[in-house]
Amino acid sequence: MALFINVLTQVCITLVAVCGIYVLTGLTGMFSLGSAAFMAIGAYASGLITIKLGLPIIVSFILAILMAVVVGFVIGLPVVKLRRDYISLVTLGFGESIAQLLIQMNYLTGGANGLLGIPRKVKWPIALASAIVSITLVAMFKRSKYGRQCIAVKSDELAAEAMGIDSSRIKMIAFLLSCALTAFAGCLYSFYMGYVDPGIFGWKKSADWVIMVFFGGVNSLTGSIFGATILSALPQFMRSLRDYRYVVYAVMVVLIINFKPNGLLGEWELTPTHIKETFKKIKNKFNRNSKES
Amino acid sequence: MALLEIRNIYKNFGGIKAINDFSLVANKGEIHGIIGPNGAGKTTIFNTVTGIYNADKGEIFLDGKDITNLPQYQITRLGIARTFQNIRLFSGLTVEENILCAFDFMCKYNLIGGLFPTKLRFKEEKRARELCRNYLEIFGMLEYINEKPENLSYGNQRKVEIARALMCEPKILLLDEPAAGLTPTEVSELTDLLKYVSKKFGFAVLLIEHRLDLVMSICEKIHVLNFGETIAVGTAEEVQNDPKVIEAYLGVEE
Ligand SMILES: Nc1ncnc2c1ncn2[C@@H]1O[C@H](COP(=O)(O)OP(=O)(O)O)[C@@H](O)[C@H]1O
Ligand SMILES: [Mg+2]
Repeated sequence: MALFINVLTQVCITLVAVCGIYVLTGLTGMFSLGSAAFMAIGAYASGLITIKLGLPIIVSFILAILMAVVVGFVIGLPVVKLRRDYISLVTLGFGESIAQLLIQMNYLTGGANGLLGIPRKVKWPIALASAIVSITLVAMFKRSKYGRQCIAVKSDELAAEAMGIDSSRIKMIAFLLSCALTAFAGCLYSFYMGYVDPGIFGWKKSADWVIMVFFGGVNSLTGSIFGATILSALPQFMRSLRDYRYVVYAVMVVLIINFKPNGLLGEWELTPTHIKETFKKIKNKFNRNSKES
Repeated sequence: MALLEIRNIYKNFGGIKAINDFSLVANKGEIHGIIGPNGAGKTTIFNTVTGIYNADKGEIFLDGKDITNLPQYQITRLGIARTFQNIRLFSGLTVEENILCAFDFMCKYNLIGGLFPTKLRFKEEKRARELCRNYLEIFGMLEYINEKPENLSYGNQRKVEIARALMCEPKILLLDEPAAGLTPTEVSELTDLLKYVSKKFGFAVLLIEHRLDLVMSICEKIHVLNFGETIAVGTAEEVQNDPKVIEAYLGVEE
């Protein structure tokens, strides 16, 4: 039971971050290898604010997220103007330097030993509620004019501009929303674990998230959530799998790219229209089968 | 004051003079044709007017405002909408969403409405969707509202693209070979539609076209290009009888 609750909490925290990756990569088509750095900013800033200044958790969460958004804005200024292939490089460089910075700033962050003594105030109900709220917000965002414009920019930036869409602005909004969500995941993480270790916020974590989004379906929020749940829960339950995680990931990615290039769910979403369509398809198939026999 | 005034624009690509001193004045309600053989520089004119390329020389005015070399999206917001020679609909969106995109810069809710179900968001989305249905109805495309554009026939994709351009509420509509790839029935249907919508909404149209019949039947004024140069300007009859045009475009008759 304790294991299950632990896994549930960790999966929920991952889901909050993956919501951010979905906005960035799934909706807008930008690949970031530095998103985990924003999780680090959220984790360290919220922890430090509470430990050093003694502010209530809610306040430190809000301040930490704001800080991540401000940093995101500065990084975002070049990112939204760049060609897509350079975005990964810039964010990678940024992410790795943040990770180094956290180790070097010994006096503040505890260096390589990590930041200890954060009150363990986040329990599974908070994590679960946070995941649900994040998913709902992103679902609302996707169906709004912003989500539409993100998809338009991803699909054809030149045509999007020709329809009056300011693509740099839309990319910035997506980037900042993504920063805020990953930072929020960081806040939850530090107050769940009680300590933060600087080693876990490298590019590998960012790459994990991108793989999760692609596994379930990069064009579908439902798929991204599904992919993230499976890929983050499985290794926790099967200890032996954990050491081979990257082997398993690699095999999965190769299989997905070959057989389901749009991910497990493609563009399917858990909405009434899509569900109705699926039912219709199944019914048609069933009718055809019974006619043939 | 003219609605659109293009004053002596030039555009070079390396050594190629894609546009060499092109000018045009268009007023409300007029339909102008731009014709010329492949590679004459027609699409480049559209790309320069809409801000995809910067003009090397010359100015472009919309309603008296200098719009030369403004960013693309600002030019659209000021009132110039377009379609593309090779259709460029957004593949991740439905027909309806494609068209809504072109209205989103006029949709008045902000990021709060983007994340929460506010009243304003509901109202604005409804207004946009009604407008969209309106345009689709004009083009007889209402039944395809939830389709993905890639599942539509070529002719229907062209119609969606024009409907999307209209959704920008343009003062001037630029159509780049809208009849390319259409069957003769579809072409005559399209001609009627174009005449109808330009009257109904009162905008000016610049039309690039290959097929002379279409241009001759709906355009008041025709510009004939060859290798970036304007070789003739005038009404259908004037242009048709111009010896330079006959030589360059229609081919020398024996
Ligand atoms: N982006 C570009 N880079 C280089 N050359 C271009 C570019 N766009 C157009 N051209 C050249 O400009 C000339 C005019 O092209 P275009 O305007 O597409 O002709 P049209 O639309 O009349 O067929 C052609 O010679 C073409 O190769
Ligand atoms: Mg052309």
